[in-house]
Amino acid sequence: MTAKRKDDTHKLQLELEDARHKHLRALADYQNLEKRISQLTNEARSTTQRDLLVRFLDIADHLEKAEMFIQDKGLKMIKEDFFRIFNELGVKEMDLVGKIYDPYLAEAVEVIQGDEDSVVKEVVKKGYMIGDKVLRPAHVKVTKKIDINN
Amino acid sequence: MPKTVGIDLGTTNSVVAVMEGGRPKVISSKEGRNTIPSVVDPEKRIVGDIAKRQLIVKPQEVIFSVKRLMGRKYDDTVVDQEKKWLPYEIVKGKNDRVNIKINDKTYTPEEISAMILKKAKEDAEDYLGDKVDKAVITVPAYFDDSQREATKQAGEIAGLEVLRIINEPTASALAYGLDKKNLHNIAVYDFGGGTFDITILEIGEGVFEVKATRGDTHLGGDDFDQKIIEFLVDEFKKENGIDLAKDPQALQRLKEAAEKAKVELSTSLETEINLPFITVKDGNPLHFVKKLSRAKIESLTEDLIKRSFDPVEECIKDSKIDPKDIDEVILVGGMTRMPRIRDEVKKHFGKEPNKSVNPDEAVALGAAIQAGIIAGDVKDVVLLDVTPLTLGVETLGGVSTPLIERNTAIPTSKSEVFSTAADNQTQVDIHILQGERSLAKDNKSLGRFILEGIPPAPRGMPQVEVTFDIDANGILDVTAKDKATGKSQSIKITGSTGLNKDEIEKMKGDAEKHAESDQQEKERIEARNKADSLVYTAEKSLKDAGDKAPKDIKEDVEKKIKDVKDSLEKGSKEEIETKTKDLSDALQKIGEIAYRQQAEKEKSEKSDASDKSDKSEKSKKNEKDVEEGEVVE
Repeated sequence: MTAKRKDDTHKLQLELEDARHKHLRALADYQNLEKRISQLTNEARSTTQRDLLVRFLDIADHLEKAEMFIQDKGLKMIKEDFFRIFNELGVKEMDLVGKIYDPYLAEAVEVIQGDEDSVVKEVVKKGYMIGDKVLRPAHVKVTKKIDINN
Repeated sequence: MPKTVGIDLGTTNSVVAVMEGGRPKVISSKEGRNTIPSVVDPEKRIVGDIAKRQLIVKPQEVIFSVKRLMGRKYDDTVVDQEKKWLPYEIVKGKNDRVNIKINDKTYTPEEISAMILKKAKEDAEDYLGDKVDKAVITVPAYFDDSQREATKQAGEIAGLEVLRIINEPTASALAYGLDKKNLHNIAVYDFGGGTFDITILEIGEGVFEVKATRGDTHLGGDDFDQKIIEFLVDEFKKENGIDLAKDPQALQRLKEAAEKAKVELSTSLETEINLPFITVKDGNPLHFVKKLSRAKIESLTEDLIKRSFDPVEECIKDSKIDPKDIDEVILVGGMTRMPRIRDEVKKHFGKEPNKSVNPDEAVALGAAIQAGIIAGDVKDVVLLDVTPLTLGVETLGGVSTPLIERNTAIPTSKSEVFSTAADNQTQVDIHILQGERSLAKDNKSLGRFILEGIPPAPRGMPQVEVTFDIDANGILDVTAKDKATGKSQSIKITGSTGLNKDEIEKMKGDAEKHAESDQQEKERIEARNKADSLVYTAEKSLKDAGDKAPKDIKEDVEKKIKDVKDSLEKGSKEEIETKTKDLSDALQKIGEIAYRQQAEKEKSEKSDASDKSDKSEKSKKNEKDVEEGEVVE
């Protein structure tokens, strides 16, 4: 009789232990999830902003190209407006020409002959930073010392 | 606790996934993408997107497609083939193995692959905030022992204990949950960025056996892009006589546009490519504008699609399985999003392919599931039930207002505050509903009860808190409590989740079918409720204003109240809204007068003023919080 009761108690204790363990685990999972959610929300917000900005940068490129052919005060104002907003949001153009090519900042789209190796000779698509992060990598032409046709 | 991940080590892209809360999830890279390009700059130890950016400057130093060389001997005919097009130097290494020579250093394919795996490991650690020390890695079904061994070694070099190497099609089948269904024969059609694979698997007692596998190691999404680019270049040349293929910048823009168009045409029938200022002719800018239809890209890529079905035929023949006996066909790889490919697959196998899993992620997700099974995570997971249908209450005008949305994990509880719809209403009827339809009458009634003894008050003032609580067994407890008196009433409903599968499916189907008309009806009721509420406010304002408001304004408001009331009888939603707006505008004039009088009063008794405005602010807030409840006369 006592032995059976002892056995039952032991079984219940184990069950309780298991239930407590699961409960704590669930609580921990939940708390972790809450933290993750708030982190993800922040990330999602900045990603959305970045995605949107990148799409507008394409239009800004077109405006700059248009300016090469169309000298118009109105067009100039629209372009300046665009860049004023970019500026306010912390978007900065990369300064790459003449510097050593850095793949973190730019994609090399063409190799051209030069006096030195790996120097950015020309930017064909401007690169932009937002804060200390790359918003859009630039497209650049990079030098190579030896004759490339060789 | 260190975690275990699943890695799809691909020819063009790699993906890493992990089990989280019992479900596999793809981890995004530090660059914010779900895939890591399988491209490596071994000298600088740069992997992925960043390495890929240097491909043009360092064609002999940036390594891609290294998977093609894994575990191969230098004298392999395959290596001979690959050597012809890979720009980097391939040399003979120890034991006749293939090595890659960059400047004066040689690397084994295992070392290069290890760098990709290491990046996957680090991205996962970043995401999880925890160490990752074990992995399940996938390989094509046709990989032989030495290729598998090489993949395992790559994992070890990357600091991962490789728990298992599994076949890509097996991983895909796991991601599709096919191990749990009672199926025998499965076909996995995998059309990726650079390679095509078709595999027929037999499942028995949880064991996956490859019956046959075929493929084309040089057929993929990139070929589709190329076809589209060629077409665009030709079109432009025809129209303008300029070859954009010779202009690297223009070509780059066309490439991006072609890929985007290809993706868009999987969901829409037509897209437009707009590339302003693509080039210059005689000092004048030229723009690229071209409409592209789905039918057009289908005809452009016809032969590529056809090419994938030769291996399919061979594979079926090898497997000695009648296509009729293939229980399920699953789609893997980004190209399988193309509707034409889906149609062709359906035609060949005589059944609708299963496309319920993201095709880019399926392999990695399956690897993560396998990792979870080995690590014991999967069986440890407590599977929580969910409420199959939305639970809510009926509110003014017969609208069904949801409290607990469907697919909410239980146990859970949710409260919301409602109010009365008429002055001096002393009881509310709480009608509990289940279903996805907007109107109460279309949903299933689970029960109802009445909360009495609400002290008489103007409509909208009393606050009745309704709480839904479902326990782990699906028993629903609904309580309504008058916040002023603390009086409460409740009901217990045991059958809230007790619907069978068919009933649930039928209710969901009905909701989808009627979604639009239900929404319209709901909007009409809401417009009516709003109008009704404004009439009430207007009548009250008129009474409050008394003689203070000029006669003409009062008459105008009275007329407009009548207009709204008339439109309530049988007017359309739009008519009710217009009339309501008119009344609202007219009513503002009374408000203005009241404010003006108030301001004059304030001038005379300044000290009193701040206190009063405070109060009105507060009562406004209260009104906002409450929603109207169902009226019982």
